[in-house]
Amino acid sequence: MNIFVQMWRSLFRTGVTDSPVHRVFRVVVNFILHLHPARVSKDGIKITYTFCLGGLSVLFFIMTALTGGLLMIYYTPDVDKAYANMLDLENVIPFGMFLRNLHRFAAHAMVISVSLHMLRVFLTASYKSPREFNWVIGTGLLLMTFLLSFTGYLLPWDQLSYWAVTVGTTMAENSPIVGAKGPFSVLGPEEDMRFILLGGTSIDQPTLIRFYFAHCIGLPGALVGLMAMHFWRVRKAGGISRPL
Amino acid sequence: MLKPTTNDIPETMVSRRRVLGGALFWASCGIVVVILGVIGGGVLRFLYPRALYEASKIFKVGRPESYKVGSVNLVTGRGVWIVREQEGFYAILAKCTHLGCQPIWYEDQQVFKCPCHGSRFHKDGVNFAGPAPRPLDRLYLSLASDGHLEVDKGKDVGLDYKLKV
Amino acid sequence: MNDKTELKERLRLLTVIREEALLRQRDIYPREEKVDTWPNLVVKELIALLIFTIVLVVWALVQDAPLEELANPGLTPREAKAPWYFVGLQELLVYFDPWMAGVVLPTIILVGLALIPYLDPDPIKGVGRYAIGKRKFAAFCFIFGFTMWFALVAVGQYFRGPGWTFYLPWESWETPKEIEVSLTNFPMVAGIAFLACYYILGLSIPAVAFQNFFWRLGLIRYNITMILLMTMMLVPVKILLRQVLHIQYIVKTPWFNI
Repeated sequence: MNIFVQMWRSLFRTGVTDSPVHRVFRVVVNFILHLHPARVSKDGIKITYTFCLGGLSVLFFIMTALTGGLLMIYYTPDVDKAYANMLDLENVIPFGMFLRNLHRFAAHAMVISVSLHMLRVFLTASYKSPREFNWVIGTGLLLMTFLLSFTGYLLPWDQLSYWAVTVGTTMAENSPIVGAKGPFSVLGPEEDMRFILLGGTSIDQPTLIRFYFAHCIGLPGALVGLMAMHFWRVRKAGGISRPL
Repeated sequence: MLKPTTNDIPETMVSRRRVLGGALFWASCGIVVVILGVIGGGVLRFLYPRALYEASKIFKVGRPESYKVGSVNLVTGRGVWIVREQEGFYAILAKCTHLGCQPIWYEDQQVFKCPCHGSRFHKDGVNFAGPAPRPLDRLYLSLASDGHLEVDKGKDVGLDYKLKV
Repeated sequence: MNDKTELKERLRLLTVIREEALLRQRDIYPREEKVDTWPNLVVKELIALLIFTIVLVVWALVQDAPLEELANPGLTPREAKAPWYFVGLQELLVYFDPWMAGVVLPTIILVGLALIPYLDPDPIKGVGRYAIGKRKFAAFCFIFGFTMWFALVAVGQYFRGPGWTFYLPWESWETPKEIEVSLTNFPMVAGIAFLACYYILGLSIPAVAFQNFFWRLGLIRYNITMILLMTMMLVPVKILLRQVLHIQYIVKTPWFNI
């Protein structure tokens, strides 16, 4: 066998032959496609049923992850450098601005598609048995999406981020019981929720590092874990819901 | 027939093996919970540093003579207003009690207005409009030995506090 | 374990598994028609992926993400807005104290959302199709909340100017707006009585008027559902009280205000 043919065949194991066996085989042996079953219900793949919203949420997540990873190369979580890095991304680095735009807009799109996906799942009553807990995981994914957006907001270290995060963390300060200024507070200003978020009593270097960690490692990790469980449970419940 | 057959054992009786097995199971559950608790507590404690590298909460803001009677002066970088009135001085924390934005002093209208959600405060820090739930914090102000005014941001004093010089 | 109990145990287990299998068969695998994933589903996914990748790339090319001046802790900008998806919460801040709008209400929203599958008493109605008419109550609650969230976002995003004052989208922010309405509070007793009546009537009237509904849900489910619903309705109620009667707080105590 020609060496190039051998390489090609080792890469795409199923070839181009079309037969019922090949169709099944192609899905089963492919790493990405094997998230799907080999055969799916005809009702479930109608565009007007799902509007592809779950899949689009994944697409937008992958886009933010890829662009975010690239942006990390030029970004320093340092209050003296972060803003200068943003200016560099805009003016000095080829495609820097484009990547930042894509990162931000894909995040917007993800918030929209996740919300609409939830609406779709509710309207088709797909949260009912045996998918109850998968809906709970879904609300967790929604929360993660919002938290990721919120933590990412501080990183450019401009006026917008500083004051949006001021407002956000002052809410934490006002939480009942665990906030220093909230009703029935038991913790002082150096022990409460806000202190954990800020790593101090004001928004400063420790805050930026904490948000950076949460945005780049903590929350994406949790999101990926929850996503894996979410997909697994979709499969184990027999695919997406359909009329009974 | 000394040895009882299985049929003689009443169904309510449980074997020693089963009891021990159960005990072991619940003990391991307990240990897992304890370990998770210790890890969780440790991580939580890890988030509270023992020292903070922040600006001191106590700082000097100049001599009393440098403030005009009736004026409201923002100490830049410190987020504190020094107000001088006929009866004396007081210091107000420049942080809206609603959500922590910094209000702006309007000299012509003699009010503090918060740009975030529109809270309004009188010159003495008392809220009169908008969503702010309580008056602005008034801070401890004293005269240091070198004749400078000294603010302690950590100490919140009541609305009646005024420093007479 | 002796043989008899073991046998019993095994039989029990078998029945459970059998029942579950039957249940699954009925619930999950009824008269379904299957097609090959490749190419039927994969092609659709590919098209969606391509369309939305192109849309986002074009979007990122024609519009730039905003970047303001360097963060300055000493100067709050004239207009401090949260990102649009949080503007709804920020809009709530006009009507509720931060602990309520920023912490308690979002927590209730999330917990309430997560509880939906356990509060819905019907296991099969409407599954797999857009049959809102068959689930009027459930659909009403969800769509109401969903719409309210985005309505608040829209108001906060397009109708609020500097100082969070109300402006129409086409109005200039330079137009002076000094409508200083002095706000009043309910007296404490009246406020507590109002809230108590609100919840007690809200819980008891539907239970009497719709007895079928009550028995279908059962006591616990019914109470959780109605408390969540009444709390959701508290938001428009409070907005009305503020806009029409200029009420700042329904309940004002030294510790917390609602």
